[in-house]
Parts: sequence; C-alpha cells; structure tokens
Amino acid sequence: MKIETQGTCLSISEIPELTAVNSAQFREKVRTALSDSPSVIEINLSQTRFMDSSGLGALFALYRATTPGNTTVLRLLNPIPEVQQLLELTQMQQLFEIVTR
Amino acid sequence: MKSILICPGSRPAIPNLVETGSLATLPILGECLVNHWVEHLAALGAKEITIIAPKCAELVAAAAGDGARWGVTLKIIETNVEPTVDEAISHYSSKGAEGWLPAPFDVVSMNHLPGDPALPLFDSYASWFAAVSAWMPKALTPTRIRMSEVRPGIWLSSRARISPNAELIAPCWVGDHAIVEAGATVGPGAILEDRAVVDEKANVSNSWVGPDTFVGRMTSVMRSLALGSTLISWQSDSSLRVRDPFLLASLKKAPEAQANPRPVRARQSQLGFLASLRARLSGG
Repeated sequence: MKIETQGTCLSISEIPELTAVNSAQFREKVRTALSDSPSVIEINLSQTRFMDSSGLGALFALYRATTPGNTTVLRLLNPIPEVQQLLELTQMQQLFEIVTR
Repeated sequence: MKSILICPGSRPAIPNLVETGSLATLPILGECLVNHWVEHLAALGAKEITIIAPKCAELVAAAAGDGARWGVTLKIIETNVEPTVDEAISHYSSKGAEGWLPAPFDVVSMNHLPGDPALPLFDSYASWFAAVSAWMPKALTPTRIRMSEVRPGIWLSSRARISPNAELIAPCWVGDHAIVEAGATVGPGAILEDRAVVDEKANVSNSWVGPDTFVGRMTSVMRSLALGSTLISWQSDSSLRVRDPFLLASLKKAPEAQANPRPVRARQSQLGFLASLRARLSGG
C-alpha cells in the first residue's frame, strides 16, 4: 500500500485487497496520515481485487474520522465493477464520492 | 399430439447462471423453464413430449417428473451437444407428419419463455432479467393455486411470510416460503423465488433473488441477480462472490454459518459497522 501527500491531498493507492487480512494495517496507516489534516483524501481502488466487510469497515472508519468537521472530501477512485457492486450492496456508495478517471 | 423440447446447453453470455447446473431447470417464478414449456405445450394439446437434454437429463427428469401433473408423457433424451431445431427434426421427428403440434410448437428450442419470442433469455443477464420480469403476469396459470395477485402487480404465494412492517411495491413476485422481514422493501421490479429470505430493512429492486438465497439485514440488491452468495449486476455484467454471509448467502445445505441467518446476524452485530452505517445514511 502506498500513501502519498501532495499539498493538502492524501492519496492512498496500490491496495491489492482490503480484507480482514490487512484492514487493521490500512486503518493504522491512514490514521497516522490524517494527522496532517488533508482537505482531500483519494483512495485509489483500481488495483483492489478483493474486499470484504472488514475492508468496508475500514473505509467506514475513515469516513467517520473525517466527517466531524465535514470539510474533508473523500473520494474512491476507479473501483473495479465487483467492488462497486459491494459498495452498492452495503449502500456505502452513498457516503463516498466515487470517481472514474 | 407430439412435440420436442430442446433444452439450452452452454450459454457463454451468462456463465454464472450456467454454473447452476442446467438453464432448463433454473427456477423462473417458481417453476423451471422446462416446466413452463411443458405446461404450455400441454395446454396446446401435446400428449407426448420428448425433451432433449444436453448433459442434464437427470436434472430435467428430477424437475419435470413423468409429466403426469400436466397429463402428458415425457421422454427425456440426454445428448452431449445441443441440437439445432433442424437437427432435432431430422433426428427425432418427421417434418409435416401427422400427430405433431403445428410449427413452431412441433420442435421448440427453449431460448425464450412461452409466448415471448421477442424476449430472448440467454443473450445477456439484462435480457434474462427483462424476459423473466415480463413473464410475471403470465406465470399465474390456473395450476399455480398458491399464487395470487393480491394487489395490482403484486403476486404473492399464500405460503410466503411477509412482515406487516415490510413494504411490497408493484411489480413484484414473492414465491413459496419466501420471507420478507420488518422494514424490508421489495420492489419495484423484484422477484423473490421460493424460500428466498429478505432480512430486516433490506431493499430489493429491479432484481431477481434466486431460491434459497438470503439477503442480509440492511443490504440493498439493485439491478442484480442474487443467487446464493453470487451477485450479478445485470446492468454491468459483472459478478461478485460475496464473502460475508450476513450480506448475501445460500441457505441450501450450506456450512453452519450460512444455514441459519440468526447466528449470522449475531456476527453482524459484533461487527457493528453496518448499524452505524445505517444511522449515518438516515442522518442519525
């Protein structure tokens, strides 16, 4: 997993899966990066082939961590159709801006 | 009068439905395709029906039985490949001979539901869903004594269990022993096959939920085909094997965790995030 900060944008990419195996690590790394108070968080899901409820839980935890002030834009980039289906199944697509570039 | 039915073999456009074993025996509104056709041909006067079943004779025999329920005699022939109509005519009938139903019902390739040749079943998942949805009003034949149209566009089995706090929106179909729990919304355009379970506060719209399929609490099945743990988007043609049984699962002779939704729901409350999600979505 790769985490980069460019100005006020936090980019998270190269996530081959977001499951019970690595969701705790994802949460921890992102939580640390949030200390810089980014105004935009982009999670690139183009390489994410597998996601389960733990992965969804990690995304939701991120949503909760950023919503109190409601100033942070949270984007999911290029989810593959299967991940998009999972987001729709759990109605989580309503919480995130989903962008295809 | 005689007739021949040709069961569909492989259909590359809909691989996840082919995986079920046989497209001829995949339930459509409570009956499988082959039974819809046998019933239709019997109504047209057929008494002897030969069913050509590519690699699925056992499944077809189990589904259709001996034909006595429709007053016909069934003969099932297993083949390795699916013959064309012309091949079936040359092998199994003599065109124009007496004693056969008139064309096109003398030899029928089951690529659509009876009476709906303009709606092919197997071109894509979207075409399959469109054909099945359009079939809803026609599926209520006199032999389906447990199904009734309780309100315009709402077909409900007398053996289904619908919570008084659930909402059914036309058009929708709820099959035998299906369960719709409190706060759930089914429809518009929803089909719940026999023994499907839609748990509390779940939504099913413009979708088909296969037999013995559990749709978990607060989940949303839209523009999809849900069969066991497989979720197929008929809109995008993508398919997903859902790993978490509290979201979507098969209830048919499954591992312990899938056999009973209640323990699964206990696991869900342990995870907790969906409940929080719900609160967020509703602005709480």
